[in-house]
Amino acid sequence: MPAPIIAARDVSKSFFGNPVLRDVSIALVPGRIHALLGENGAGKSTLINLLSGALPSDRGTIEIDGKAVAALTPAAARNAGIAVVQQELSLTSSLSIAENIGLGAYPRRYGFIDYGALARRAKAVCDMVGLDESLSRPVGDLPLGRRQMVEIAKALFREPRVLILDEPTSSLSAHEADTLTRLLVKLREAGTAVLYISHRLNEVMRLCDHVTVLKDGVVTADQSLAGTDADGLVRLMVGRDPGDLFPSWTATPETETIVSVEGFSSGPLKDIDLTIRRGEVLGIGGLVGQGQEDLLLGLYGALPASARRASFDGVPGIPASVPKANALGLAYVPADRKREGLHLIHTIAWNMMLPQFGRARGLSLRNRGKEKALALDLADHLGIKGDLTRQVQALSGGNQQKVALAKWMPSDPSILLLNDPTRGVDVETKREIYILLRRFASEGKAVVLSSSDTPELVHLCDRVAVMREGKLAATLDRDGLSEEAIVAAAMGAEEAAQAA
Amino acid sequence: MSHTPDTRSQRLYWPVQMQRNRGVRGLFVVVAAFLALYVYLFPGLFSIGGVSKFAQSWFPLALVSMSQAILMLTGGISLSIGATVSLGAVIAATTMTGPLGVVGGIAAVAVAGLGIGAISGAIVVRLKLPAIVVTLAASFIIGGAALLILPRPGGAIPIWFSDLLAGNTPAALILLIVTALLWKLYLATPLGLSLYASGENPVGAYRGGVPVDRSLIAAYAISGLLAAAAGLFVAAQTGSGDPVIGTAFTLNSIAAAVLGGVGFLGGRGTMRGAIAGSLLLSVMINVMFFLGFPPVAQYVAQGLIIIGAVALPEITGRRGPR
Repeated sequence: MPAPIIAARDVSKSFFGNPVLRDVSIALVPGRIHALLGENGAGKSTLINLLSGALPSDRGTIEIDGKAVAALTPAAARNAGIAVVQQELSLTSSLSIAENIGLGAYPRRYGFIDYGALARRAKAVCDMVGLDESLSRPVGDLPLGRRQMVEIAKALFREPRVLILDEPTSSLSAHEADTLTRLLVKLREAGTAVLYISHRLNEVMRLCDHVTVLKDGVVTADQSLAGTDADGLVRLMVGRDPGDLFPSWTATPETETIVSVEGFSSGPLKDIDLTIRRGEVLGIGGLVGQGQEDLLLGLYGALPASARRASFDGVPGIPASVPKANALGLAYVPADRKREGLHLIHTIAWNMMLPQFGRARGLSLRNRGKEKALALDLADHLGIKGDLTRQVQALSGGNQQKVALAKWMPSDPSILLLNDPTRGVDVETKREIYILLRRFASEGKAVVLSSSDTPELVHLCDRVAVMREGKLAATLDRDGLSEEAIVAAAMGAEEAAQAA
Repeated sequence: MSHTPDTRSQRLYWPVQMQRNRGVRGLFVVVAAFLALYVYLFPGLFSIGGVSKFAQSWFPLALVSMSQAILMLTGGISLSIGATVSLGAVIAATTMTGPLGVVGGIAAVAVAGLGIGAISGAIVVRLKLPAIVVTLAASFIIGGAALLILPRPGGAIPIWFSDLLAGNTPAALILLIVTALLWKLYLATPLGLSLYASGENPVGAYRGGVPVDRSLIAAYAISGLLAAAAGLFVAAQTGSGDPVIGTAFTLNSIAAAVLGGVGFLGGRGTMRGAIAGSLLLSVMINVMFFLGFPPVAQYVAQGLIIIGAVALPEITGRRGPR
């Protein structure tokens, strides 16, 4: 086997004392397509950032051509021939395709950009990735998939020895993905080392030679892909020990349906059939950004949505606005509590009373005494400690989330929509939130819990709907519920098995 | 074969330029219509004298609009342009008749403009402060400095120099064309073109190897230079220095840049648009004067046209995709 161009040896990285990577090693070898797999938050992006010099590692070494590099900078990584195609696009929409491809590495003549050389070399890489648009077109005109191809062309323009692709196919059409596959095979023959991150197992099985699997920041597999099956890979990615984080609960017996939608579409969502029952916690799973938030917001009347048939608590149709959804008993707790859920500089009590202001009649004055009593009652109910006249931003993440939940309680919602409520929340508060959610369910309310944390879905939910590319990939009942099943559905393992 | 790069170069460079015209074509049509109306009302425009006088009334606004447009391309906005114009005028009026002479005076104005711009830019970029706050503070400091140098209108510009720039010559028009061409040359350098990437998507640009900080600070310096140069021209027009003469230019420069389609979020817009926007404002004022509008009505009309220019693409754009 040829010597690796770049290798990480036992690197570790923590953010705010929270370990993201622990003693991870990976070697990128010329002429090999190397897959990097892992669940949401397994540490893939952090590893890429270490390899491209965007982040320094806490411990361990990065070696380039066998020599340890003390502190790898983005410039040094670029000079060593390492190119990264990032997920967030790095293009400038008002510049042309060619000007974007050459950006940061323009060929020069007498100090000016050599447009002749730029045109020639940009054309060459555009041909490689199958971009036939005019080179002078502004990138802002192109659809997302074509922009991704420009991004790849931009990486190739620097003739990299190591090409790192972070989910390159997520916005590509089937045709574009095929072109990319052929390109990668050609690069492999030419001796380029490719690191390929993808959530599509069938792609990985078809294209890659070697795989590294990350789970919770630890390498669980570093092996040749030959002779490995899709299910085996899924097993390597999942399986966290839930400990006693989750409260014990008994599944509510089959109850009446409170919400049902058929052929529901909103934004990227297409044709979704979903029922929500009283007394259950319905999980919404899947990889990040498969349309979970659009689903919740669409149901909540905050995004334009349509459905062939819909019924909310006996009322036909989808609520057309947030106040209408509130009137139907829906409440929504957003994922980004700092931006959407709370008003940080206002007091805890003010935040908890906010939903009530909207329903105050006309210009009648607020009843301060009553508000105060209500706020105290809520705080007591949810275990929010301390002085309620403090600003919300003084609270910890977990307690902020409790306030975001508490503010809906006086309206007594019958359907609670939660978008990743435990993200960035400490373990103890997580458990309190779990107990709270199960209590709502046992009171006959319906709880819809979208979560990027798979164990949470398995241990807390009666049923889990798994989303993939704007569709429901599977709905798993209590019997069929396991981390393996959720991840397999989220990553399309079934398709991969059929393709193999 | 040796000339192949040149023909290819034209095949990429000029199509890129044509694409950049797309956003401002509508504006060009409106400007042409107003110009036609102006010529109809004032046929005297078609003479060396007429063109010269009009170009002189337009030139300072054109310069500050370019100055503002560059700052808006970085993703910021400048509130110190008016004060920089005043300072430029004051420095020109106090140095040119002194030992420095005209050439030394021009150099002093240029150094002051570049320096002011570079320092504000460095503060904004390195300390990551909002441009609007930094340039607001700068406007007080620069305006105060102008008043310290020349507490009341005074100083002098050599008469021959005033006549050369603001007499019966088309010097202003020629200087404007030269300035626009120099900007085109700057945009043809890697650092110049990087301004668009640094203004629109700084994180992406940085990861792609663009010297983001350098391109932004250079843009601030050029912006300061243009504003100070406008001050020099205003001093030559009036023959003396006035420490508060530039005040109105701050808001007018924003108006012209916005009319010219320069966006507030950085990296959107073109210099030709900003220049056309300033031309539209200048012609409009002249046309309304000839039509006998009172000056107050001119302000109202100016405001309505700016709102219209900004709202129109929003309205048509919204109707488009849905």
